Amino acid sequence: MAERLANKIKQRRGELGLTQSELAEQVGVTRKTVNTVENGVFTPSATLAIKLAQALGLSVEQLFWIER
Amino acid sequence: MVERNVAERADYLSKRRARMLPFLAVIFLSQQGTYFATPDHSPHSADSVKIAAWLVLSAILVAALATKGFWLQPKEIRDLIDDENTRANRLDGMRWGFLFAMAAGVAVYFLTMFEQVTAREAVHIIMSAGIAAALVRWGLLERRAHQDG
Repeated sequence: MAERLANKIKQRRGELGLTQSELAEQVGVTRKTVNTVENGVFTPSATLAIKLAQALGLSVEQLFWIER
Repeated sequence: MVERNVAERADYLSKRRARMLPFLAVIFLSQQGTYFATPDHSPHSADSVKIAAWLVLSAILVAALATKGFWLQPKEIRDLIDDENTRANRLDGMRWGFLFAMAAGVAVYFLTMFEQVTAREAVHIIMSAGIAAALVRWGLLERRAHQDG
């Protein structure tokens, strides 16, 4: 069965009033990378997932989960 | 945290590269058309200039594929442009390039059963297939990555 890494980056960004560019700056990547992670196109490394979770004030498990 | 102007510049350059990669592949392949349209490929012919130009462009494109590129930009911008997603896309491009080069190698091998192919022509075909495929694949992945939502 196919699995995909789902996330609530967009929702959380909206709650915090952050743009993709602002979040990208905080975690030290380009807006493109945040965009691809947010849309589920790109699976981030553990390092980036932790940085994103920290920047958005959530744990990695709250921000990402596996959808089957 | 990354400085705003550095991030904006990196984003701009990354988008520009995404637009340029397929275009570069077309220029590169059109050079091959010119090469194969000329019947005389002897080492002392006037073709030497074209061959040298092809070799230089090939080396630059391979270096761009294998490194962060944007060699004239400051290190912080180069590091940011070559972030995680770009590296993944670049490596996938190189994977496609390798597969296309191998397929071209197989095709050339079979071609030699029916027609004489010089070593230089074989190298041209194999390198062209590999580099062009890598550029197109990388460019398409980068363009998709830049698309919103």
